[in-house]
Amino acid sequence: MIIIDTLLIGLSSGAIYALMALALVLVWRSTRVVNFAQAGQAILSTYLGYEVMNRTHSYWISIPFAIVGGAAIAAFIDAVILRSLAKRSHKGSVSEIAPVIATLGLLGLIRSLTGMIWGNAYVQYISPLSGKGYMIGKHTIPFSPQNLIIVIGALLVMGIFATIFKFTNLGLALRAASFQPEISRLAGIRVDRIRTIGWAFAGAAGAVAGALVTPTTYLSPNSLDLLLVSGFVAAVIGGLDSLIGAVLGGLLLGVGFAFILQYIGASVTFSAAFIILIVVLFVRPRGILGSKVGRRDA
Amino acid sequence: MRKSKALSALTFLAIGLFLLGLSNFVDELRVYQGAQIAVYVIAISSIILLTGYSGQISLGHGALMAIGGYAAVLSYTYWHLPVLLAFTVGALAAALGGFILGMAAARLSGPYLAGTTLALAVGLPSLANQFHILGGEGGLSFDIGEAPKWIANKTGGDFTQYKWFFWVSTVCALVTIWFIKNLLQSRFGRTWRAVRGNPSAAALSGINIGRSKVLAFTVSSALAGLAGALLAMLLGLVAPMAFTLTLSFTLVTGAVLAGVTNLAGSIVGAVVLVVIPEITDVVATHLGGSEKITANLPGLITSVLLILTVIFAPNGPKLHIRKKVHN
Repeated sequence: MIIIDTLLIGLSSGAIYALMALALVLVWRSTRVVNFAQAGQAILSTYLGYEVMNRTHSYWISIPFAIVGGAAIAAFIDAVILRSLAKRSHKGSVSEIAPVIATLGLLGLIRSLTGMIWGNAYVQYISPLSGKGYMIGKHTIPFSPQNLIIVIGALLVMGIFATIFKFTNLGLALRAASFQPEISRLAGIRVDRIRTIGWAFAGAAGAVAGALVTPTTYLSPNSLDLLLVSGFVAAVIGGLDSLIGAVLGGLLLGVGFAFILQYIGASVTFSAAFIILIVVLFVRPRGILGSKVGRRDA
Repeated sequence: MRKSKALSALTFLAIGLFLLGLSNFVDELRVYQGAQIAVYVIAISSIILLTGYSGQISLGHGALMAIGGYAAVLSYTYWHLPVLLAFTVGALAAALGGFILGMAAARLSGPYLAGTTLALAVGLPSLANQFHILGGEGGLSFDIGEAPKWIANKTGGDFTQYKWFFWVSTVCALVTIWFIKNLLQSRFGRTWRAVRGNPSAAALSGINIGRSKVLAFTVSSALAGLAGALLAMLLGLVAPMAFTLTLSFTLVTGAVLAGVTNLAGSIVGAVVLVVIPEITDVVATHLGGSEKITANLPGLITSVLLILTVIFAPNGPKLHIRKKVHN
């Protein structure tokens, strides 16, 4: 019974990790940047949702606002900051790490902005769904209606992305632009614009993660930092450039964390994230489903 | 060559004496901030060494500083080592951690390394709660005491503890910069630059790339450990809260603002990091801003500076200007 309970906890947190990993992978595929600002973007969009909820008193109305907001923020960041960075990039000792540092700067910027607007104190972003687990017979399982909506929401996002990538022209353009930008440009794809759309998708995925997970905890300018690390580890487990890999990585990590929490203790969880990451990078650096290019040349 | 070396050693000595003398003429707060700057100088130059010269990035130097801080405090408290030896233990412990991390780092590039070190920065400080000896959330206190009598007597009157902190950290910072400066001019420095500039060509010339990267990571970590031990001295304790993710980010910010290939810039970066909160404090109180604004203005300004530097002068403000002149 404990094992099933642990699996259920892992499923719900894994779905959130998967969404975050999906966001990181989408950006990585479109611009070859690991977007550390993703945590900040998700925070900002969640605060937008929080603001809408305060006005409308409805969690459900606030979610679409958060998603659209998240997509818009991401598109803005790519179009304004990342593009001008790429345009001005010249050979230099830091040209390789410049985008990483820029996203770090953005993370700091968004954090302080949200802190200025909403304050650094914890606030509650409340869902009307109960956080209490379902009852099966006399046993309360650690899986609440909110957990259910997390899993459903994550599945929905993944389904939509899978459909877009597999069956639409936009999806084909997205895949082509990340696979061979030069040739795609010659083939008439407006690579810059497609990249921005990739960023917007990522922003939307991050926004969904933020809006769904926050009711189970609290909201503050850095309440999603740990989610960023889990998302990154999940993305690396999955191979960093595979969308399905990101989902699998997220679920594996979620279940893994749940078991560590159950059998070892809460305080080692994030050290465990680091150790899992190191082990994956040593044993199978291209992840479960990553392309063959090793980490050395990435 | 030898002449210039003697000259540079003399310059360092002169700067040191000047700074130490200066500490007699400013008030306590400034002395403390001077000590802070010195600690930041060490930490930032450790990142400059790593990123600017060896081409590796680390978002986990806060964690390495934590290793240094905890090791120094533990050896001071339990082994009763003299302070300077405790600092050395801190540096060595961080070097060991950095060596292990560097082994992983040498196999990784750019984003992977950034993410891995980020995970370390998040994961490691929370370990303090796991082991009883590390003191949990509250941490361990660290009091190095007053300055030795013979120094206090030489300089006369009231030799405060802050002034002693300032002396210790300034001397450490000067020695560090002098050490790095010489190291970068040595065989190792040349090797690192070669690997950073063109790994394939460096490998063909017989350089062991992996070994060179691990060495850079180890040396950089040792310096970060020293900075961590000094930070513990300034704060009077080590605790997980002192080595947050924000600290790691702050160090990278300082290094980028300094110009990551410019060792002397580490001083500029350190001063900026200490001065910005001061300025924003004054500005915020003048404008009558709320607590929300005051608390977040320094972060906002450093972040904006970081982004602007990366976009407009990625190799650091100084190099950028020099290039313009040449063109």
